[in-house]
Amino acid sequence: MELPLLTMEQLSQLVASNPPLSQLFEALSRYELQACLISTGSNGPNAGGDDSTLLSMFYSSFFLVHLLTDQVLDARSEARALTKRIPETLLQYDPSLQNCLTLLRAVWQTQHAQVYQVLRGLPWPDALQPLVRRYESFFQDKTLIAVSRSYEAIRLATAAIHLGLDEQLAEKEDPNIISNFTKCGWSWDSESKLLHPKPIVVSPTEPQSSNGIRKAMAMLGTRAC
Amino acid sequence: MTLLSDIISASAHLHSSNHLPSDEYDCRIRELVEYWRRLQTTKALESFANDESFLDRFDPAIDSIPFLFVLRVQIQKVQELNADLFPADIRPSGKLWTRAAQFLASFDGVQVRYAGREWRLLVELVGQASQAASTPLLGATLVKNAMLRLDPSCAVFTSSHLLLVRLCLQAKAYSCALPVLNKQICHFPISLGRPSSEPSVLCADHGSSVSFMTEASGVSSKISYRDYLQYFLYGGMVYMALKEWRKALHFLGIVISMPSTSSVSLIMVEAYKKWVLVGLLEKGKLIYFREQLCPPPSITTPHVVKVYQSLARPYIILAHTFERGDLKKLNAEIDAAMGVWSADKNLGLVAQVVAVFFSQTVIKLGKTFAALTMADLSKQVFPSPVCAEVTGPAVSSLIMSRALNATLVQTKDHAESSMLRFSSIHSLPRLSHELDLQSQLKQEMKLMETLLINLGETNDNLGLSDEYVDSLHKGQIWSGSSEVNPTGGETGLEMDEDLMGDMS
Repeated sequence: MELPLLTMEQLSQLVASNPPLSQLFEALSRYELQACLISTGSNGPNAGGDDSTLLSMFYSSFFLVHLLTDQVLDARSEARALTKRIPETLLQYDPSLQNCLTLLRAVWQTQHAQVYQVLRGLPWPDALQPLVRRYESFFQDKTLIAVSRSYEAIRLATAAIHLGLDEQLAEKEDPNIISNFTKCGWSWDSESKLLHPKPIVVSPTEPQSSNGIRKAMAMLGTRAC
Repeated sequence: MTLLSDIISASAHLHSSNHLPSDEYDCRIRELVEYWRRLQTTKALESFANDESFLDRFDPAIDSIPFLFVLRVQIQKVQELNADLFPADIRPSGKLWTRAAQFLASFDGVQVRYAGREWRLLVELVGQASQAASTPLLGATLVKNAMLRLDPSCAVFTSSHLLLVRLCLQAKAYSCALPVLNKQICHFPISLGRPSSEPSVLCADHGSSVSFMTEASGVSSKISYRDYLQYFLYGGMVYMALKEWRKALHFLGIVISMPSTSSVSLIMVEAYKKWVLVGLLEKGKLIYFREQLCPPPSITTPHVVKVYQSLARPYIILAHTFERGDLKKLNAEIDAAMGVWSADKNLGLVAQVVAVFFSQTVIKLGKTFAALTMADLSKQVFPSPVCAEVTGPAVSSLIMSRALNATLVQTKDHAESSMLRFSSIHSLPRLSHELDLQSQLKQEMKLMETLLINLGETNDNLGLSDEYVDSLHKGQIWSGSSEVNPTGGETGLEMDEDLMGDMS
């Protein structure tokens, strides 16, 4: 299937349409070839003066989409590899791509507070906002699952930091903050001032069946002699 | 005009043969390929070599053979007219590059089985042109898609495998190599086949691609021992870049256990050094085998192991220091051999070894203690006192990333240290672990299915029928087992030795 030419309009439209992640990843993977040609100046007569803006928008979007694919692959390694493919000069001077690098560092070092700070506090172009918001929500959900499995008891403030909620309100035992957790089935012990998480299990995307195991065992049986 | 109408009618002849039985369709394609090869050798296509619009007459998905031959002729012509081996037309976004990309993305896999050499030359050209234009990513993507299009199983090792992995490493597009790297290689292109056998009907449905990816097909250039080693070393490096340590270990293990009679290849030594470091990153220890010092997989010959150990001494010392759990000494060893890591280009891996030291030490503590406070943990892990504020987030991060199977219990009082519980009371992580296990089993099953298909094909090619293997097996049991399997190795190895004995 022929891919439309990579332009700002095309890219903004693609990002704003909020397609399923796999489709978005696939489309951007294919666009990377065009981006590669643009960055080497091999894209022929279509090359224009706005190339760096277009490339910045493209690579920033693709970077965020990489981070969003975390369930499938180790997104951090993939995203890091992408930053190595971005033209050096663009990466060094472009503010959005610099934000991406700061974000990668924070994600890599699991500094949750820093991740929210980068996503919420740093200036991101309007066209990237849908992806930034999508990643923020994804990161929050993912962290909630991880915290629920990692702690048997956790202070409200610590949980709030992990989830990017207001730490000061959490210190004051704000009921809204508490309800963020209790609605997930966690219990709040007002005496010990601790939350007791209920581990969240994510059901697998594919239906699992024990037939597979039986088949595998049968196969082993026929070959073992 | 006559030649043009001839060409068009020859192609049309093949279109009408689609519904024919395999053997007749096979004859038609063979005739068509012969016809085009003849045109190429007699320079009859010269008149179309500069005609850009000529390729428009063919759809690469239907007329793959004519398209491929005309494209080859046009590429050769452009190369002849320019001193440069990769003139602008052939480089990415050039006119002929675009045609090549169009072809490689849509060719008919069955037709191309008959023009393997021409296909391979085009794939190589695309790879080299993308390298020359410093855009290896473009070449890697095209080569990968073309390989999967010709042989979705990628079970036969070809020169394109090496080209792809090399391009991916150059482009730093590691995941681009995965659709091929993750496939099991089961064969080399076989030579002409059994003399008595009929030439294979290439267009038929074959269980395994080894039936049509033969040496004679030309889909691969001549493969050397070095190419094979390089593919697995580079493949290991791709997995290392993606931090898939287990797969990297497997690939490096293939390189270091390569049979060798006298000399040891430098590629093998290089792979061994990386293997030691990746072993630390994956398992947190030197990989032992039969109580010996750091030997590679069991089939590696002892003299090769000795060579490795003498040439990779700093690596083995580093691994032992890591295992002893002394951070100070580990840092000292790393500093002492900084030149070695740097010269071997393993500095990045060594840095990760230091980073993983903390997690491995904590995991080891879990084998001794059921629970520890953060303060006690800091004392156990760090040589000099480190505040719990540093240890706490690090441990929490380990647990959340599922590198450590434990839970944290905080207390109301900030000043009081959190407790790390190694034996988790949470039942759900266990359930989640079982789900992971189930999906792993599924993957293993798919792998077994692939191996079984290819094993059957290998048996056929070696002339090993099921009856022969059964009688061989019975014979071995009757003749007493002690001498049959002196090494206690795998049955496949015994079978090969007996087979060779039988043939000599």
